[in-house]
Amino acid sequence: MEISITGAKVLATIENVPLFGTVQITQTLTASWLVMLIITGLCIWLGSGLRVTNISRKQAVAEMAVTSLLKFVRGNMGTGFDHYIPLIGTIFITSVVSNLISLVGVWSPTADLMTELAWALVVFVLITYHKIKSSGILSYLKGFLDPIFVLAPINVMSECFTPISMACRHFGNILSGTVIGTLIYGALTAANSALFGLLGSSMYVAIAVTVLGVIPAVLGYTRKQKKLLIVGAIVAILGVLAIFTNLGATYPWLTVGIPAIPSLYFDWFGGCIQAFIFCALTTLFIKQAAGD
Amino acid sequence: MELYQSLVAVNPVTLIASICNLFIQLFLFKKLFWDKILNILDQRRQAADQEISDAKAAHAEADAIKATYEENMRQAKEKADSILMNAQKTATLRSEEIIGQAQAAAAQIKSKASADIALEKKKAINDAKNEISGLAMAIAGKVVARELTTADQAGMIDRFIDELGDNV
Repeated sequence: MEISITGAKVLATIENVPLFGTVQITQTLTASWLVMLIITGLCIWLGSGLRVTNISRKQAVAEMAVTSLLKFVRGNMGTGFDHYIPLIGTIFITSVVSNLISLVGVWSPTADLMTELAWALVVFVLITYHKIKSSGILSYLKGFLDPIFVLAPINVMSECFTPISMACRHFGNILSGTVIGTLIYGALTAANSALFGLLGSSMYVAIAVTVLGVIPAVLGYTRKQKKLLIVGAIVAILGVLAIFTNLGATYPWLTVGIPAIPSLYFDWFGGCIQAFIFCALTTLFIKQAAGD
Repeated sequence: MELYQSLVAVNPVTLIASICNLFIQLFLFKKLFWDKILNILDQRRQAADQEISDAKAAHAEADAIKATYEENMRQAKEKADSILMNAQKTATLRSEEIIGQAQAAAAQIKSKASADIALEKKKAINDAKNEISGLAMAIAGKVVARELTTADQAGMIDRFIDELGDNV
């Protein structure tokens, strides 16, 4: 079988746009608008009905999020950068929602390098601004000739690689999740066709397998032996599915549920951790650029 | 025919749109959520500060009231003490005075009694003298009526009385 892993789906192609030429409107844009809608809705919901005393559970959660974000940024940057906290919070929540939205089958905007690159470029502008502000434009430019003028191209490259590495780190992790998810899905489909190709070849085999599973399952249930019950139940379910296949209801059964297990790590854990890392790097780089 | 981008595609439109999205999202996040929550947190902090300062003011007021009360109590106690002391002093003086008066009166009564006794004694002696002299006169008159002159008689009687008086 053939597995293809592609980028975002192109929704529309517009020719002859000034400056850009051929423009492709992709799924990334629509998905990111959906993400923005979700976040804005969340913001409106959490930001409404606020009270000073006798707060609701919702408001407590919102306040906890705000204070933990404050604590996180102040812990990394000190108190002089409070005006960047909304930006960091926005990047964090957008990243988390974008990463997790793939769980409901929507194209994840962070699976497009351009999204992360956009954030990284904004952060890069801030980093450069603080570098110039802290040491002056001349010594900033002079820094490229350090320690010797021959190394200037390398210094320029290392400067440019800051946003690229930030973007690629995030993108790569989401991409790896997508790739591994697709591979597991493909492998399960292949295993499925092999298994049910065998079991579904004749009705007798399917019924035999079902009976073979039901007997130990019933025995395990009556004798309270959990292992026997579980093994029997699995075999019986396979047999029942094989009967369905024989009746003509073919479906890649194995791909139901099982891919959720690796997605628990790659989407949930990986998604959140990458959002966190991106924000942590943002704070650290800006802090470093601003000096002390 | 569905068209897909390659896995790692560079699309300037997506890039620019993503940057714009980020800023729009930032604006919405800040206006709808962040500023509101910070505002609430600030209000709460102010309310807490207000309450703390109110409590401090109330505490200071209570302290002042307590100090005034204690001062009043102290003054009242001093007053009571001084009244008590005065009363004791007055009572002592009064009792001493009474005792002195009583003693004086007693002494007066005693001396008066002594004087009375002395007077009575003298009177009794005089009475006795007169009686005795009368008696002696009677006796002597009867015994030596004829032998003695009146003068001799008087001298004799006086001598006799004197001797008697010394022995009485």
